[in-house]
Amino acid sequence: MGLTFLQGIISIIVIMALAPLFAGMVNKQKAILTGRIGAPVLQPYYELIRLFKKETINAGTSSFISRISPLINLVSMIVAAAMLPVGFWKPIISFNGDIILFAYILGLARFFQILAAMDIGSSFEGMGAAREATFALFAEPIFFFTIGSISFISGYNSLFDIYHSIQLNNVSYEVFIIVCSISVFMLAVTECSRMPVDDPNTHLELTMIHEVMILDNSGIDLFLYQYSSYIKLFIYALLEISFFYPFSQKSNSVGILIFITGSVALTFVLGIVETITSRYRMKNIPQYLLFATAIGILNLLIYTFTK
Amino acid sequence: MENVLSILFCLSLFYVVVTSRVKAYVTVLRFQGIILSVLLVIPFIYNFSIFGIILPATLLLVKVFLIPGYINKVILDLDIKRRIEPPIQQMIFLPLVIATMIIVFLASSILSKITELDVIPFASGFSAIIIGIYLIIFRRKLIIHVCGFLILENGIFLFGTAVASELPMMIELGTLLDIFVVVFLMGIALNRIRGTFAGFEATHLGRLKD
Repeated sequence: MGLTFLQGIISIIVIMALAPLFAGMVNKQKAILTGRIGAPVLQPYYELIRLFKKETINAGTSSFISRISPLINLVSMIVAAAMLPVGFWKPIISFNGDIILFAYILGLARFFQILAAMDIGSSFEGMGAAREATFALFAEPIFFFTIGSISFISGYNSLFDIYHSIQLNNVSYEVFIIVCSISVFMLAVTECSRMPVDDPNTHLELTMIHEVMILDNSGIDLFLYQYSSYIKLFIYALLEISFFYPFSQKSNSVGILIFITGSVALTFVLGIVETITSRYRMKNIPQYLLFATAIGILNLLIYTFTK
Repeated sequence: MENVLSILFCLSLFYVVVTSRVKAYVTVLRFQGIILSVLLVIPFIYNFSIFGIILPATLLLVKVFLIPGYINKVILDLDIKRRIEPPIQQMIFLPLVIATMIIVFLASSILSKITELDVIPFASGFSAIIIGIYLIIFRRKLIIHVCGFLILENGIFLFGTAVASELPMMIELGTLLDIFVVVFLMGIALNRIRGTFAGFEATHLGRLKD
């Protein structure tokens, strides 16, 4: 019991410590692929430290929502991170039905961020909030159809149990993992506002979705928002990497090895995808998300009717 | 293994529904051709025979190289626009396709209780037939109609492999020849239409008189 708890604590610390590094590696890969030298891999840490030292200024029209929202964001991300397995270590929060909590704890973070964006009273932020809410509406079915279908097949409804019940006895499971990881990848790209849906580098208000919501934040608030978005990216990356744990024997060292190689491979994949695709037009994004939902539904269909 | 290939086939169907580039249709046709050839080779991996290889090889040649290559050539020669303007919103089309697939899977699982068949290849082939028809109904470009017809034909092929384990080779070769001739004729027809009308859309043909 004590050892499991310790392992859970260590996994949260690992996620929190490595999240900015993951974002930094993606940026570095992207820079190399486009022929630039790029910022150092540790750049996100420097940015976080810089933001941490700055003074926080709130808009005059903002209420208490703007002050509590960044903190709620970070706390929700940490709670969500506490549900994900690192290697074969059992996470701290793991009970029957925690996939629902996982989805809605991220939903809570988004809700407060949207609320805070509207609270400031700038029209740009209102626009960003509207976009975020619209696309989140299309992104939620992807999560439930994909993770839900895995839960349906394995018969478990806790993230840790689901991921560790996947056996590679028959070929169908392998294709199922491939198909699911495609739709989870699309979900990750949407939720973390990466390239085909949103461009994290652009600073033109009209084209932004996620970035526009934090335009008026500064200092510690911005630090909390940035840090939670790094953690969010890493959480979704873990959700993706966890599909590949069953390929090994159930030994801790191999689990950790897969965790490391999986993260590095995923930064490479994200870097390539962000290099070769351009941002979609706003009206095409729901279609892209619906495509991922369709993959989830296909999964569900296949396993409903072939039992 | 058949199930895996059928699922990939279904994914390619979803892609064909959401894409709006003409080139992507040709790529999907190539992809489906490869899937069908691999599907035919599988039974012959363990007991190799030269007759078993003829059909997959012909299929690969016709469906992966000849027909898509010819369609690409038509697109280039006739200078057809690279994007399609669908008369129906993609956002409506995709849910329609999903709903159709659900019904098809339901129907084939009911059928499988009565007769002997593999549900996933059967249902994928069946959905391909219906989606091919949808493409012909809901797209204006004539070249997409050709692609829709070919997807329909791929669906029939997959459907056939699900029902009968082994198909008579001569029949399959005959069908392949038919398909190739049909596509060839469609290319010639498109060439002729170009002489009379500026565009390549079915709406222009509505003005024709008896």
